[in-house]
Parts: sequence; C-alpha cells; structure tokens
Amino acid sequence: MAGHNQQSTTNQPASRKPEGVMKHLISFAIMIVLTALAFYLVATDVVPEGWVLPLIIIFAAIQVFLQLFTFMHLDQKGSGYYTLFIMAGILIAVVSAVGIILM
Amino acid sequence: MAAHTHENTAPQNGHLETASLDGKNKVLGFWLFLGAETVLFACLFGTYLALRNQTMGGPTGEHLFDLKLVALATAILLTSSLTSVLAMHAMNQLKLKTMQFWLGVTVLLGLGFLVLEIYEFIHYVHEGHTFMSSAFGSSFYALVGTHGAHVTFGIVWISTLMLQAAKRGITTEMAPKLFVSSLYWHFIDVVWVFIFTLVYLLGKVG
Repeated sequence: MAGHNQQSTTNQPASRKPEGVMKHLISFAIMIVLTALAFYLVATDVVPEGWVLPLIIIFAAIQVFLQLFTFMHLDQKGSGYYTLFIMAGILIAVVSAVGIILM
Repeated sequence: MAAHTHENTAPQNGHLETASLDGKNKVLGFWLFLGAETVLFACLFGTYLALRNQTMGGPTGEHLFDLKLVALATAILLTSSLTSVLAMHAMNQLKLKTMQFWLGVTVLLGLGFLVLEIYEFIHYVHEGHTFMSSAFGSSFYALVGTHGAHVTFGIVWISTLMLQAAKRGITTEMAPKLFVSSLYWHFIDVVWVFIFTLVYLLGKVG
C-alpha cells in the first residue's frame, strides 16, 4: 500500500516535469536576451536615438508578460480572478503614473 | 492507507498550493495585494520620472549610473526569479531537499543583489547624490530604496519559510505560504525590470 502510494506521489507530477521546466527555461532565456538587447541598444547607437526608449519599454512589457504568465502561473486554469486583480492594479497604476508625470 | 492520508499525496492538478480552500484563499488574496503593490510602485515611478531632471546642480543620472553594475544586478535578480520557479517545481513534486536547495540559491542571489545595491548607494553618496541633495535624489532613493526594502523583506521571508519547511516538510499548509512568497519574489523582479529600464537605461539615453 505504501509502495503504491509512493508510486503515485512520484509518478504523476514527474510526468509533468519536463514540459513545465522547459517552458520556464525558455521563458528565462527570452528574458535574458531581451535584457541584454535593451542594454545593448542603450550602450551603442545601432538604432536612431528616438527609437531606443519605445523599444526598451516594449522589451520591459514583454518581460513582465512572461513573468506573469509563465513564472507566476497566470496561464493556468482557474487564474481568472488573479488576472482580474493584477490587471485592475496595472490599469490604476498606469493611470496614476501617467497622471503624475503629466501633472 | 488511512495512516497515509495525513501525508501528501500528489495533488490532482499538480498544484499543492491550491489543494486546500485555505491555500486558494491565500493565493487569491495575495494577487489582490500585488495589484495594490503595482499601484504603489507606479506612483513612485511617476514621481521619479517627473522629477528626474531636477538635480539642483548635483550629479545627473547620466553621470552617476554605471551600466555594468546594473547589468550584473539585473542578471542576478533575473536568475533568482528562475531559481524561485524551480523551487516551486520541486515543491509540487514533494522534493523537500531540492526545494530547499533552490530556495537557498534564491536567497543567496537576493543577498548578492542587495550587496551590489548598498555598494552603489554608498558610491552615489560619495558623489554627492543623496536623499536630501535634490528632487532627483529624493525620488530616486524613494523608488530604488523601496524596491531594495522589498528585496530585504523577501530574503527574510523566504529564509524563515525554509526553516519552517525543514521542520514541517511540504504539507498543504506549507505549500501556499511557499508559493505566495515565490509570487512576491517574481513581483520584485518585475519591478526591477522597470527600474533598470526607466531609471538606469533611460538615465543613460537622456
């Protein structure tokens, strides 16, 4: 019985492991590349100066999306309320930040 | 069989943190908290962006910021976010030692980040960039300092949870606590992504 129980504890999640870990490693690799690219764009002048800021903000936004939906598991079933809460937070945050800057 | 029911069997969907109602509520409440934290940091970002050029003749961001140091700090924090995810993987597989190892790595990386930040701040103070020196100084330290305080709190939080997990093992009571601390750690990384973009990189762009 104990042996059977042990079996079920190790088997089921283990079968999920490769997919999950791979997803996170890929996500991490993309984040590293985006970060490196952002630093590269600022340190060199390969793109016109006016383009640098919009580009690095887009890179940051992609990274946040990756963090939320892979590392913080918002991509999984039953995350509706979590997504609602954080998106409401982001909405108020953006309005506040832009408001303060324009003030 | 009955003797085993108090131990953890693998959760149905592979997620121990939401296996109990208590766990579900903790995670839900924590997301609401993170929403509020987002607004807190947005206000600090807005203030910094509005005041970043008010240096009162003191050193400017372009003069102060060292991109190599910031790149290192970013790499450290980003990696700690990954190790935190790996710890949660181990948790859901009920591998206590593996989980403790990755949590330990996360804490050490967090400490490394903190050391870099303290070194950076000391350097800035010597350059005449302090909390009181200008509006740029005040808003800079308020924003980056609040983030650093979050990192400090995260380190203490995760370390104490490691002690608790060592005593109690991975249970349906421990799992939500560990998961929520991991969410907090990812959130800290999310905020840092914006700090390096909007404070350091933008400071260099001008």
